Amino acid sequence: MLSLLPFHKSILERIHDPSTSELLLIARGLGLRRIICTLMKIYESPQTLVLLVNAFPEEESAIGEELGIMGCRKPGLRIVGYEMGKKERQDLYKRGGLISVTSRILVVDMLQSDIPIPLITGILVMHAEKVTPLSLEAFIVRLYREKNQSGFLKAFSDEPEHIMSGLSPLRNIMKELQLRTVHIYPRFHEEVKASLERRRADVIELYPQLTDFMLDIHGAIVQCMTTTLAELKRSNTTLDLDDFTVSNAYFRSFDLIVRRQLDPVWHKVGPKTKQLVSDLATLRKLLSYLLTYDALAFHAYLETIIAANTTAPSGSAKQYQSPWLLTDAANIIFQVAKRRCYVMTSTSSSKSKAPPPVDDDEEGWAALNESEGLVGTGKGNGKEKETERAEWLPEGMTPILEELPKWDTLAEVLTEIEEEMMRLESMGRSSLTFTPGTNTVLIMTSSSRTSNLVSEYLSTMDPDSPPGRKAHSMMSAKLQLYLWWKSKLSERKADGKTVFAMPQGNNMLGGNGFPGLNEEESEEISEALKKKDKDKKERAGSRRRVRGGSVVAAASANARKEKECQRDSGDVRGLVGEEAMRDEADDIAQFLSTQTGSTSANLANSGAGPSLITFEDGDFTLEADDFDAHFGLLAPQQTVVVRAYSDDTDDMMLAEIRPKFIVMFEPSQDFVRRIEVYRSSNPGLGVRVYFMVYRDSCEEHKYLVGLRREKDAFERLIRERGSMLLPILEDRSRNDPTEAAIKTISTRLAGGRKEINKEPSRVIVDMREFRSTLPSLLHASKLLVIPATLTVGDYILTPDICVERKSIPDLVQSFNSGRLYTQCELMSVHYKQPILLIEFEEHKSFSLEVQSYLFSIYRLVILIHFTPQTVGEMKSYAKPTNKYPPKKKPGGPSENDTPTAPSIQSKLVLLTLTFPRVRIIWSSSPYATADIFNDLKLNASEPDPSKAIAIGAEEDPDAGAGVNSAAEELLRSLPGITAKNVKYVMSKVRSVREFCELDCKQVQEILGVEPGKACWDFMHRGDRKR
Amino acid sequence: PPVVVPGTGNNILVNPCQRLNPILDCIKNVGKEFGEIVPDFQVGRTTGVLFLRQYHRLHPEYIHQRIEKLGHMYNLRILLLMCDVSEHQEPIRELTKTCLINNITIIVAWTADEAGAYLATFKQFEHKPPDLIKERTEKDYLSLLRASLTTISKVNKTDVETLRTAVGSFADISRHSTESLQNLPGFGQVKVKRMKDAFEKPFRNNST
Repeated sequence: MLSLLPFHKSILERIHDPSTSELLLIARGLGLRRIICTLMKIYESPQTLVLLVNAFPEEESAIGEELGIMGCRKPGLRIVGYEMGKKERQDLYKRGGLISVTSRILVVDMLQSDIPIPLITGILVMHAEKVTPLSLEAFIVRLYREKNQSGFLKAFSDEPEHIMSGLSPLRNIMKELQLRTVHIYPRFHEEVKASLERRRADVIELYPQLTDFMLDIHGAIVQCMTTTLAELKRSNTTLDLDDFTVSNAYFRSFDLIVRRQLDPVWHKVGPKTKQLVSDLATLRKLLSYLLTYDALAFHAYLETIIAANTTAPSGSAKQYQSPWLLTDAANIIFQVAKRRCYVMTSTSSSKSKAPPPVDDDEEGWAALNESEGLVGTGKGNGKEKETERAEWLPEGMTPILEELPKWDTLAEVLTEIEEEMMRLESMGRSSLTFTPGTNTVLIMTSSSRTSNLVSEYLSTMDPDSPPGRKAHSMMSAKLQLYLWWKSKLSERKADGKTVFAMPQGNNMLGGNGFPGLNEEESEEISEALKKKDKDKKERAGSRRRVRGGSVVAAASANARKEKECQRDSGDVRGLVGEEAMRDEADDIAQFLSTQTGSTSANLANSGAGPSLITFEDGDFTLEADDFDAHFGLLAPQQTVVVRAYSDDTDDMMLAEIRPKFIVMFEPSQDFVRRIEVYRSSNPGLGVRVYFMVYRDSCEEHKYLVGLRREKDAFERLIRERGSMLLPILEDRSRNDPTEAAIKTISTRLAGGRKEINKEPSRVIVDMREFRSTLPSLLHASKLLVIPATLTVGDYILTPDICVERKSIPDLVQSFNSGRLYTQCELMSVHYKQPILLIEFEEHKSFSLEVQSYLFSIYRLVILIHFTPQTVGEMKSYAKPTNKYPPKKKPGGPSENDTPTAPSIQSKLVLLTLTFPRVRIIWSSSPYATADIFNDLKLNASEPDPSKAIAIGAEEDPDAGAGVNSAAEELLRSLPGITAKNVKYVMSKVRSVREFCELDCKQVQEILGVEPGKACWDFMHRGDRKR
Repeated sequence: PPVVVPGTGNNILVNPCQRLNPILDCIKNVGKEFGEIVPDFQVGRTTGVLFLRQYHRLHPEYIHQRIEKLGHMYNLRILLLMCDVSEHQEPIRELTKTCLINNITIIVAWTADEAGAYLATFKQFEHKPPDLIKERTEKDYLSLLRASLTTISKVNKTDVETLRTAVGSFADISRHSTESLQNLPGFGQVKVKRMKDAFEKPFRNNST
């Protein structure tokens, strides 16, 4: 359990009162989660009903876990998901306690009165920064306050940077949440300072230099970014582009800035600008990959970029080249990145005299010579491997395999830590006994990818090698993998297809960090800690063997469930090996003739050999993620835990591991604060932190700017709080019904003929539509929203009017898939007034993208003016307009792109021609839609929910039951499955996966012979394991 | 009763009152001729088009008169609305209601070019079967696979390619474990979860 610092206590004192409602803004890393958990513990009782809203799934489970540790076990936090039936939910709500609900479910339950709103004790809203007038949370608050004035509402946020847009962002959020109080706790708050700064941290900052190669690439990428930005500015002179600076472009939020600026004119900007915007994102990614990926992965990524840029998905030459790819700087990037990996020499015979044009370290040379067999007196192990490696190396290739500078630094740091531990130990056993904390070394990285890499490095590291060559075995394994991939790549290229990413990716290209990935591990850790002492003795002897073997074992048997980095990497390698063997026939490959044998041999070698060597030293082992399987065997001073930064779960992790040595492999301001909190809550614990940043790199810059941005955000918020006009809350519950009645009998409408309508106007809304913002706005415009699972249409306004809502992307997509045709067909059959609602987004351009039309017109103009002239001259004309690159030349009417890609407008025309009864509503925003709906409902009779549900669902026995729309869509898309038989299939099988497991006969029984065959063939084409 | 107007069936008939309308120049690839018709344009034997632009704001009654004159003529009745003002919300709302009552479909165009293109397309597509917007059954394997996997939100074409090369068939993908999916490039937690929801969660969850 986490202890509370004085400032935590004072925050809790301020906000715990269940009769008040407020918003708490706190700096990230200061422990928001423990505040929330303590609050929930205070509120927990069977007499209360407290809802947790807007928490991510991984947060839900982590909070539940933490509450369990704090003693809230019976029943603790219950989580309501999509699988839970309506009845179960009703019971759960009635029994009370702490419940976490997904917003969409809560809205539906509130509308259907499944949850007793007046009985809710209070609501806790996480991530308050995400609340907007259109969000579901705002809808929830409105529904809540309509019927319940006494309950509390506490909102929390630890991301002040997000509350920045608009004139008074803070006020907007508070208005939507109907709050009047806000507490702001930045890091520089007086109480926080007092709590955290009693003792200074023992921080050692390390600034490794980038290698020359990396510096070159870094510079070149920045140059490319500058060029791209300049190009962007030049092509959009009308925009306010003050924020478009390179330093802003380092951040992901830059994309948002650009999009916000361009959104109103997005339909007018050419494809060139769009390309530029996405180029910036690519370049930004490259910058961070340069610092975190190993040389080979980086090079492979670059190659996929080139591949993706030279050919379009259709296989034809790509229309709009990214301009940066054509610059000199890009050339530098590609050349140098390649040189970091290997150098190709022209002939194989000249291998020995092949001097790489640039070389940065002598050790590299030494190892090179060694590899070529010139120096035969290397270390036994090394030599063995080198000679072996020469077999699979293609001729003429000299590996360079540059390593990341941080790796060496890390190795040094670990040695230093080890010495420090020994020193402390020798200083006296007595002092050791009462020093809190363990000797476990914690290494924190920015993403799980990096932590995979680091643990792989540590496990395969050769400590005797000179700096810069320590990871040689790992890098050569990677090179081998790379070569295999490369051969596949070229093979695919021959097919005319593009490979976008390296498939066996985890070693090469990886996900960008999975924040919740490690959440179960903390549990594992604590369990592991407990059992550690128990079986340490008995199995200590066998430890090393177990260790070394685990990698190999994993390579063959890959069915383990834990997400252990080490295991995973072994796993993938195993897979690749297998694959390499199986695919060898078609993979004849220019270079790899002896691959099969050497691959597996090498795998075993690189896996087992070095790790054995490492463990002989006995001070550190690889990877703590193995805990469950192996950790119990290791003493804490022998463990190194490698983890990625995550959210507040890190606090828990720190408290459980209680490390004395922490290495921050990449900078993170949140984690710095976590360490501060951790130190302060463990008095007497001496923590040493190693903080690694590449000098003069974007990493350093990003860290500093990040710090500043957060500080600025807080200052702005505090200023806004000072001058804020507090919103006066509109009281909807006292909205008297007579007003509505007067409206209905107004003489202006149909001469007052209509009877007073006692019941309020209502709209039946399909359950799936609650993902959009319209239901919330319909409710806000005083319509009664009735959720239901509809088969036909999205909104039923009157017994005759049925509306299918399409946003623009939806419209394009459902035109392409033909879904809209089916939907219109169904609506026309069942309703008198079928309506297609085309809804544009607020603040975005109210216009269909007119690109295609303009384009064809432009082509026409060129045709008229330039047909007699040569292509070359046309090029010279087309260039200055700068709108369309010269590549796309009008080749006469025979060119096939116009007829194959009809515009959305022409499809719309065809739709109206096919269904003359379908009307179209053009709405510029959801707000406008709400107005139009109200208009259409005037003087019309009310729809009947039970009828609406039954319509079109005659053959479906479970009409109205909840539908997993994602699964239905997926099933729908399979060949052989049509709108007509999809319901039947869904009643026959439970899930798509189950459907895939059926054999051909069974599928044919369901779908009929022909479609069944087609469907089964589709699902099983290219089966790997059978 | 549909009006019988002389002239070839291949031309758009234009009401003489539209003689000065600039969008006449924007109607490309289709012939035009003037003729005595009730609507502004006749773009097919059973399709009549009324044209309206910001004039509406000055004379709101104008369009009502025209609609009244139109009576019950034509099977498909279009109101081509040219939206070249920024205050479009109110007029569109009013017109939507009016047109719904009078069985008229609104088409909104933003430029004269677009409006002209609409008219031309109406004429060109007069006898076109709706295959273009229907569900297509004949497709090659790759595009089918792409179409089906991209129905899962967050999954894009690149991911489909990755899945196909790294995992294999559709059935293989359905069996693939969460962990190994997460190790594929470009597959984050959210995306994998969406995929698992689509593949493994039951169709019916009785949530209502």
